[in-house]
Parts: sequence; C-alpha cells; structure tokens
Amino acid sequence: MGADDGRVRARLRKVATVAGLVALAASAAYGGDVLGIRSRLQGTAPPDARAPAVARVGGGSPSTTPTATRVRSAPWWQELGTFEGAGPADHRVVIDDGALQWRVRGSCRSGDMAVTFPHEEDPLIEATCSDETVGYATRTGTAQLTIEADGPWSLVVEQQIDVPLVEPPLPAMHEPQTVAASTGTFYDVDQTGRGQVTIYRLADGSSALRLEEFFVTPNVDLEIRLSPLAAPKTTQDYLAADAALVAVLDATAGSMNFPVPPEIDPAAYRSVVIWCPPITSAYAAASLAPPAG
Amino acid sequence: MSVPAPTTALADRPHLSVGGRRIPVILPTRRDPRLHLAIVLLTVQVLGQTVLDFKLSVAQILVSIATAAAIELAVTLRRDGVVLWPASAMLTGNSVALLLRATGTEHGDWWSLNGIGYFIAAVVLGMASKYLIRPAGRHVFNPSNVGLVWVLLVVGPAGVFPQYLWWGPLGLPVGAALVVIVAGAVWILRRVRMAAMAAAFTATFAVSIGVFAAAGRSFWAIWHPVPVAGAFYWVNVVLSPEVLIFVFFMMSDPATAPRTPRGRLAFGVLTALLAAALVYPQSTEFGVKLAILSSLTVTCALAALIDRAAGRAEHARPGVPVSADPRAVLGRIASTVRRPAVVAAMIIAVAAPLDTLSLADDEHLILIERGLSGDPNPQ
Repeated sequence: MGADDGRVRARLRKVATVAGLVALAASAAYGGDVLGIRSRLQGTAPPDARAPAVARVGGGSPSTTPTATRVRSAPWWQELGTFEGAGPADHRVVIDDGALQWRVRGSCRSGDMAVTFPHEEDPLIEATCSDETVGYATRTGTAQLTIEADGPWSLVVEQQIDVPLVEPPLPAMHEPQTVAASTGTFYDVDQTGRGQVTIYRLADGSSALRLEEFFVTPNVDLEIRLSPLAAPKTTQDYLAADAALVAVLDATAGSMNFPVPPEIDPAAYRSVVIWCPPITSAYAAASLAPPAG
Repeated sequence: MSVPAPTTALADRPHLSVGGRRIPVILPTRRDPRLHLAIVLLTVQVLGQTVLDFKLSVAQILVSIATAAAIELAVTLRRDGVVLWPASAMLTGNSVALLLRATGTEHGDWWSLNGIGYFIAAVVLGMASKYLIRPAGRHVFNPSNVGLVWVLLVVGPAGVFPQYLWWGPLGLPVGAALVVIVAGAVWILRRVRMAAMAAAFTATFAVSIGVFAAAGRSFWAIWHPVPVAGAFYWVNVVLSPEVLIFVFFMMSDPATAPRTPRGRLAFGVLTALLAAALVYPQSTEFGVKLAILSSLTVTCALAALIDRAAGRAEHARPGVPVSADPRAVLGRIASTVRRPAVVAAMIIAVAAPLDTLSLADDEHLILIERGLSGDPNPQ
C-alpha cells in the first residue's frame, strides 16, 4: 500500500514536472510573440501600414506606399465628390479599400429622389425632397450610383477613413509677406499630444494655423482652441481663462491647415489647446513663442 | 548514538506553540544585509509615493510583499518545520513592486488594485523559480528578476511596463532617490563583497553604451517627444536610478551570483556585455529596460559555470594541463541536461534574451513609446 502510494506520488510528480516544463516552453513562445499569437490574442497587432490621405476633398486613394504609416487618426469624413444634375443620371465613385464606410448626402428641390447602388438591394436614398437625406454603405471599390429624380438635385459622396491627413502647407503660407508669428510643440495634458503648431500671419492680413506631424489621442468632437495662458498643464489650468475656438478637429493625426476666424487675434493668445467639450478635458497643449531665428 | 538534550540557549529561542507542537521561529539579526536592503528599497518606495510620482499604488506594493512572504513562510514551514522571517521573499515582493507597472495605474491612487494579477504573477513565478529550479541544490535565478522578465515578456506592453529609467527631471526628488540608492550601495555592497562586481558591470556597461550613443543609437520613450539620443541616451541608460537599483541591489544577490571573487568580476563584465548586446537593437525604453533585466537572467544561469571557470583559472599552473576524459565529461553533461530543473533553467535562459530581441521591431510597442498608439492611457 505504501509502495503503491509512493509510485502514484512519483508518477504525479513526473506528470506535474512535464506539464510545468511544457507550460514554461509555451509561455516562452507566447512571450516571443511567435507566429504573432500574442498580438492576435491580445488584439495588439499594429494596423497595416497605409499611406496618409493628402487632402480633405477629392479622395486620393490611400494604399500601401513607401510613405505608409501605422499611425491612425480618429475616423474622419473625406469628401470624394459633389455631383449636381436634374433628372436621372449615373455617377461613378471609387471608395478606398481601407474606408470604414461611406455615405451619400442628397438633396433635391421638387418631387422624389432615389439613389441606388447595384450591390445594395435597398436604395441608398429614397426620399421626397425636403431636407438633406443621408444613406450609408460599407462595400468598397468602384460604385456606380444611379440617381432617379424628378427635378434638380445635388449629392455629396464621402468616405470615412482613419489614416492621417497630410496636407501640404497653404500656398499663402509661402508668400513673401507671410510671417510665421508663433510656434510651439505639443505636450500631454490629459492625453497624448505630439507635433508642432505654427500660426501664420498671411499676406492678406488674415491668420492660419498649421499642425505639423501632429498626433493627439483620437476622439470625436475635439477642438483647436487658443488660450491666453502660457502653458496650461491641467484641465483646471485651461478652464481658468477664456479660450477661443479656432476649428473643430476631425482628423487627429497628420499635418493640417486651419484658417483662424477673422474675429480672433492670435497675438492675444499664448498657447494652443486641444479641447474635448463633451468630457470637459484638455487633451494636449502647445505653448506659443516666436519662431527661433 | 545519543541525541543531545536541548541546551538552555536552544530552549530560550523564539518559538510558536501550535497544538502542543513547538515550532522554532527564526528572525533576522540586525546585521542581516537583507534588512539593510529592505530599508533602502522602502525609502525609495516612500519617495516614489510622495515626490517621485510613481504610477504604483500602496496596495500593489503590499500585495506583492505579502504574496512573496506567504509563499516563503508556507514553504519553509512545510519543508523545514520552522517559521522563518521571510526577509528574502519580502525583498522579492518589494523589488517586483518597485520595477513593475500595470498600465493605467495613476499616481496617488494609493489603494488601487489595478493589474494586481500581474504583480502576483511576477512574485509567484519568481518564488516558483526559487523553490523549483534548483539543479545543484540552490536556486539559479534572482527571483524578482526572473518574475519581472517573464511577466513583462508574456503579458507585454498591452498590460504592463517597466518603471521608467529616469524618475523625473533631475531635481530634488530624483537627487534624493539617487543619494539613497548610492548610500545604500555603499552600505550594503562591501558587506556582501559585491562592490567589485558592481564596479565591473558599471564600467563595462558605461563604455558599451557610450559607444552606442556615439554611433547614433536612440530609443523612444513615452515621456519624451523625440528619440532619446546622444549624451542623453548615455545618461538615461547608464546613470538612471533603475539601472543603479538593478546593479546594486539585484545583480548583487550573493545567492545567485558566482561565489569566487574572480567569478564575480567576470559575472559583472559578462552581464554588462550581454546587457549592452541586448540593448543595442532596442528602439524603445521598454525594450532597453527588458534587455538589461534579461541579461541577468542569462548570467545567473551561467553563474556556476563562471565560478568553475574562474576557479580553474585561479588554480591553473603553467605547464600543468587540466585533464579530463572527454567521454566522461560528455556523459556528465548529458545526464545533467536531462534533469527537469536544468531543462527549465535552459528554457528561461535561452528564451529571455531571444524574446527580448523580438521587441526590437515590435511595431505596437514602438507606437506606444512614440505616443502614437491612440490608446487613451498607454502606460
């Protein structure tokens, strides 16, 4: 009986030892992300590298190129085209393979309007002309839109993408009379902020703000605001002084231009803050100073 | 053969009486260097909680220490029939808490149990290595080191990260921490005869990282908007409080380091060279930190061999060949590597550096350290 117990115990010990060694080896392979198992199980595989969009309007077709990036923006709407007509018509649009979804915003002046798309059973838009109507679809690639309308109509087609937006500087920013009035580097407040901001005084007397190699933790409803504070470090800091809304921030990564509303004098402000009104949070900020040199 | 009766001195020793059974209690002496080390590490933890903005809760520290202590108490009570004050285990728990961070823990949230499973896992793994991987009757790996390395590698940057190399801008708080660490090193290292080892590591590592810095190596750190490069790279890697704690208080564990003076020197140099080799390809602070920790995992596994080689070198005489029957040597090696503890040690010692190297091109980790992952609270 004692000998049997001893044998059973020895056997259990052997099984436990082998199981322990197998678990150790398996965890070693998992820790090395062999075959991407850990990334897949944890959902931490980075997104595919994709080229950034180069404009807010006109598509550009993000695809894999040498300038591709794995950085992602909050989803934003890129306009692919505006079409107008009267009566029936056909139009072709190309939806990027990486688009999350796309939509057609239509309006017409009289009668009814329908917009159909061969791959969808139901019309994208089927409405009596009144307010603007919106239809959504997710199939990517070339889309042939068939418009049936009793009178004049207009359509705006947009795709929702999450690649960064990398716009070139405005031509006005290169004009000889244009001055880079102030610049700053983003730092974290409640979230992550990276990149630079420059405010230009343009030749026509107006101002424009440019974000360069910019990134902020993605969210919807973010705003670019100018604050009179030199370096707000917290949301409480930011709330201590009135700030001016420059623009709503749709794409949260890339390089972008924003006209400064004419009623705002940028010289009266000392920092730029990325502000999230719904949760009352300053995401990131950049202290403004005259450019060096 | 007669058993001597207990002396009065033995009878007076501290003990617990449980159900009529007398269980000896073994307490540390005031001269025990583990107590001194505990004082140093606890002082650093106090600074971390008060002025250094550690993203670590008091609860995480206490649970780590308590878990390690409970394991050691249970093991020694069952194995040796004594209640042993778990000084070593408490150091293991404290070291794990000092160097490990659970993503999303905020400084000042003192009773947060965020990611507590990771702390417990690191402690349990470390203690398991201490009591299960004993090929020659003594443990191979520094328990906190191997627990940290394994949890950082297996859980990865989605859930954990190592404490930042630098603990803030160089000012009074970081200066105070550096003073505590260096004073603690002076206090402890000479007593455990590890000062030369620490000097050998520091000198070799400083030169290696200096060469890398001059060659333009850099790494991304989430707290820095541009890559850490140049002299800043050297200062961050070589003089950081994290690395000082690693070399002064983790590498210097006499239980897992070689025992001969020459072996300890070689251990310092070899760990530094291996750490540098693993640091070189890393492009993130996470990778750099793990490279340094992983290097010790490897050299701890080699400590016995280092001792043997150093001993042979010490006793070698010119003209006297060291003879050994090759077949006998091979036979000894073959029988050794079949032992489960040796297999486990080999898996850990091989996987730790290889897995660490795989971090060098981990795109998700790079995005996190560049601040571009988009995660609301990436570290």
